[in-house]
Amino acid sequence: MGSGGSVGKEAGPLKTLLRQHTQSALEQREFPIFTLTCFPPGFLVHVGGVVSTRSVKLLDRIHNPDEPETRDAWWEEIRQEIKSHAKALGCHAVVGYSESTSICEEVCILSASGTAAMLNPRFMREGCLDIGGSDHRLSRQPHPGMVGSERGEGEVSSTWLGFEDASPPSCGFVHIPYDEFNMPFPAQLTYCYHCRRQKVPDVLFTTIDLPAEAEVTGKGCLIQARLCRTKKKAQGEVNATSISNLLPFMEYELHTQLMNKLKLRSMNALFGLRIQISVGENMLLGLASATGVYLSALPAPGGIQIAGKTPSDLSYDQHISTIQKRIDDTIAKNKELYNIHPPECIEEVVGSPIPDRQRSSRLFRSTSESSDELSELDLSHGKKDAFVLEIDDTDAVEDIQSLLTDAPIPAGFYSCNTEVMPGIHNWTSGLQMFTSVRVYRLSNANLTNQGLNKIFTDLCENLLKSLYFKLRSMIPCCLCHLNFTVAVPEEELIQVAVTAVAMSFDKETQQAADRALTRGSGENEEQLQFSMELCGESTISNNQPTAKPSGVPESAMVHSSRAPSVDYGSFADRCSTWLELLRLKAHTIRRGSVKTSRRTQLLAHSVSSSERCSPLPEGRSRSLRSTRSLPCGAPVTVVKMTPLSFLPGTRIVKYLGIINMFFIRETTSLREEGGVSGFLHSFIAEVFAMVRAHVAALGGNALVSYSMKECVFMENPNKNQAQCLINVSGDAVIFIRESDQEAIPPLLTSRQTSGTGADGTT
Amino acid sequence: MSVELDVFVGNTTIMDEEVYQFWLDGYTVNDAVKVRMEGGVLEECEASAEVLRSDTMDQYRTFQMCERLLHSPAKLANQLLFQIPPHRQAMLIERYYTFDGVFVREVLGKKLSKGTKKDLDDVSAKTGVTLKSCRRQFDNFKRVFKVVEELKGPLVENIRQHFLLSDKLARDYAAIVFFANNRFETGKKKLHYLTFQDFAFCAGQLISNWTVGALDNMVEDMDVDLEKEFLQDLKELKILITDKDLLDQHKSLVCTALRGKTKAFNEMEANFKNLSRGLVNIAAKLTNTKDVRDFFIDLVEKFIEPCRSDKWTAGDMRLYLTHYTNSAHILDTFKHQVVWDRYMGVIKSCILKMYHD
Repeated sequence: MGSGGSVGKEAGPLKTLLRQHTQSALEQREFPIFTLTCFPPGFLVHVGGVVSTRSVKLLDRIHNPDEPETRDAWWEEIRQEIKSHAKALGCHAVVGYSESTSICEEVCILSASGTAAMLNPRFMREGCLDIGGSDHRLSRQPHPGMVGSERGEGEVSSTWLGFEDASPPSCGFVHIPYDEFNMPFPAQLTYCYHCRRQKVPDVLFTTIDLPAEAEVTGKGCLIQARLCRTKKKAQGEVNATSISNLLPFMEYELHTQLMNKLKLRSMNALFGLRIQISVGENMLLGLASATGVYLSALPAPGGIQIAGKTPSDLSYDQHISTIQKRIDDTIAKNKELYNIHPPECIEEVVGSPIPDRQRSSRLFRSTSESSDELSELDLSHGKKDAFVLEIDDTDAVEDIQSLLTDAPIPAGFYSCNTEVMPGIHNWTSGLQMFTSVRVYRLSNANLTNQGLNKIFTDLCENLLKSLYFKLRSMIPCCLCHLNFTVAVPEEELIQVAVTAVAMSFDKETQQAADRALTRGSGENEEQLQFSMELCGESTISNNQPTAKPSGVPESAMVHSSRAPSVDYGSFADRCSTWLELLRLKAHTIRRGSVKTSRRTQLLAHSVSSSERCSPLPEGRSRSLRSTRSLPCGAPVTVVKMTPLSFLPGTRIVKYLGIINMFFIRETTSLREEGGVSGFLHSFIAEVFAMVRAHVAALGGNALVSYSMKECVFMENPNKNQAQCLINVSGDAVIFIRESDQEAIPPLLTSRQTSGTGADGTT
Repeated sequence: MSVELDVFVGNTTIMDEEVYQFWLDGYTVNDAVKVRMEGGVLEECEASAEVLRSDTMDQYRTFQMCERLLHSPAKLANQLLFQIPPHRQAMLIERYYTFDGVFVREVLGKKLSKGTKKDLDDVSAKTGVTLKSCRRQFDNFKRVFKVVEELKGPLVENIRQHFLLSDKLARDYAAIVFFANNRFETGKKKLHYLTFQDFAFCAGQLISNWTVGALDNMVEDMDVDLEKEFLQDLKELKILITDKDLLDQHKSLVCTALRGKTKAFNEMEANFKNLSRGLVNIAAKLTNTKDVRDFFIDLVEKFIEPCRSDKWTAGDMRLYLTHYTNSAHILDTFKHQVVWDRYMGVIKSCILKMYHD
């Protein structure tokens, strides 16, 4: 305890030094904001938490609607606010940043959110990513070597250390970036459960993907908060005001729900948090999705305690205790389900957390703060602090109900909205990307908030249930990158669109891998050797993904610092620098491995030709008496699609460019096409087909980072008409199977002559 | 609250074989949901009826969209709209073209015309196969018929190539086409005991031995039309029954060979002339299209029924037919050995297949 304190003090000046250092690198940029969600190890020094801002605007007040000035000014305002939020958290940058709008008639909600963070200034310097960053794969291949903390530590100490405040990278990013005696908000701090030297918060919310170096206990899961609030129909300013008044309460409610659900799952951190608020004529919808995990470096979450306000009669008490029992059971069950068994002994060493009892009063409604009550209730939970839910009104009852009505995820399924699920490594090549769209009509015009909430929650839950049911043949599997989009296309209509990828994994080897991971560094070293040998050759594939995401903000940042305000004139300039950077990189790659690249292409070719989507044997002539003839052309190439940046068990050997397409479809014979469902079903199928065809035409065999950015559907059944607009995008790539890849590097073939790949495939 | 729109689209098209079968069998969505619920899929996956309904609707829509592709299966492999793994494609095609034995018995040998299609509701009521399924099966027959009608080359091979069917199914379709083309009578009450597979076997025999294609395999309609010249030659066999000496000689040869080998010997000896007349008369009459149609009914009436009433076993039948065929070779005044063998080879195997103890 004492030594820990001294280290904390020592770290103080170091921290200020670090801050000064990075500040100089970032401060001069107008917006130190990154839209990226995953970074090379060591890039994130500390993460402060989620920063977000919303603004309600009236679109009819723009004087020149065709000119972007007004809108630019709005966004600039929002970015400034985000920046200042980050500053308040002691951070100088924002990562995992995103902006969105929701428009209904003339009212528009502008939203922005991100994660306040302190970044390693080394990465900020021009070209540094070229030198050191290239061996850090940004592609989130769940490489065994990447997961182990041992490796990360070794590398960071050798490459990035020098001024680093010596926090181990597997926990460094969870350490608070703000001053613990001058905290921006009340939070409960403890010493890091990993290094025991720095302070960490009790929970951490972020919008980024889980860093590869983070140590996680057990598995994660998708956590959603759903909320529906009615509002009166209104026009113009009155409407905007009523929306503005509702927003803070909605954010607060969503936050409370998230926090409760997190505790219920016995987890302590959220990644990939995305809060969407959609505005309709007579209601506001709020949907927050995130992936909950148990970060080993953060303290274990306490349980949830239900407290009745007026302990009057016996039946009421009984009711309370039944709910309490249900909650306790659920927590215990979830612990089993997500395999969360943190080592308990640590607590004794660290001692009790800082007696900062005023925690979370601002954050959680219905939380009882009385310490008397706490000590009274703590009995059942030992040393852990219980999170108290007080049933003081009907709303709270509803909250608890909704907390417990979330259907448990069926056995064999996992789900997350981040790239991959922590704790699952052995993906098989089984892959199914899908989009599901549902539109619900609220038949009852005057619904209460509670009624609406129930409907909306059921809607999301049923949709998830449907997905699990449909994909049951892929068990054991994980739904990754579950992306929900809600909209209120018309009064009384709620539209929910989901895009995700289901990936199956190998249960047998999964358990083996879990064991291997816990066994320590012996194994890791072996794997490290293996991947290091690959490095020389793998530049061809690894550099490109690295160059792509990192190159953009890199050069953009540099230029915006030269030109103080972002104007579109400098855009071309920025692009050209970025292109130059890429070209330079491509050049070195080409010089480095001409031979291998040709071989990989050959391999890729053979892969694509062997994966034809046809039950017919290939190369059949059209002659009549040939064994079997077919009156059609060449068979269709199989094109895989995924919203993730990688395909399990494969290696991307070439990026062929971005695919970004808008489709508009209209029908005047809706009934004949099978109604709205038939219309949209065939449209989405056709969009997929067109995307696949484009990828195939570029010579690719997969589309990664796929996203459906827009899906606007409108119908007029009386006129037998419907319209739909869809915008999709992604990166066309060529991938080869990892098993084939072993045959490529000559370095390896000399040593590991498993020799199955080359002869079989080329 | 009601679901206005509900779709699920996968990059790889998801198809449940069970639901596909319901769709093929002409179940409505509601019926399919009901059956699925009873099937226990709910308990297995903790899903609600609503989920099941949504899933069934999705699948039905997908199948409907696929249906036009299934009409020319080669297109399924070359279309871009649905990404379906090859083995799934094969399954989709095979199941789509699979038919019900009871249904095919009703339309076998009938003209595949609009008139027959109009009567399908009667067939549906009689067989218990839904009208929707009846229509699909009927349309399949008709489609295959239309396509192979204009093609040269072997019938089975053509069907297999154009519809990507398994060998077994292609042979069945060849039989259906053959029967439809020659309009064989199969619906008479006396023929009710025969299954489609009995007929399919006979069709196979006829196709490979009696058609134009048996000699020359590059002629149009080679496998669907019986060879005219051969039918003409069959008239010559009449000598076996018109020539009294030959008939007696034949009888004594057969009886000598059979004596002591079967319990039914007495009946065989007594009926020899009748049976022989029956078979040879069938052969002689085949030049008439009308008599070709009655080929199977004639076989049953003239040969199988008398034998059955005499309680021949299948072994008896085989023994009798073997000696009956072979003995003709020893007859020195009988000169039509080649035609006789070509005729009796098919007759023998057909009768053996059609003779159920």
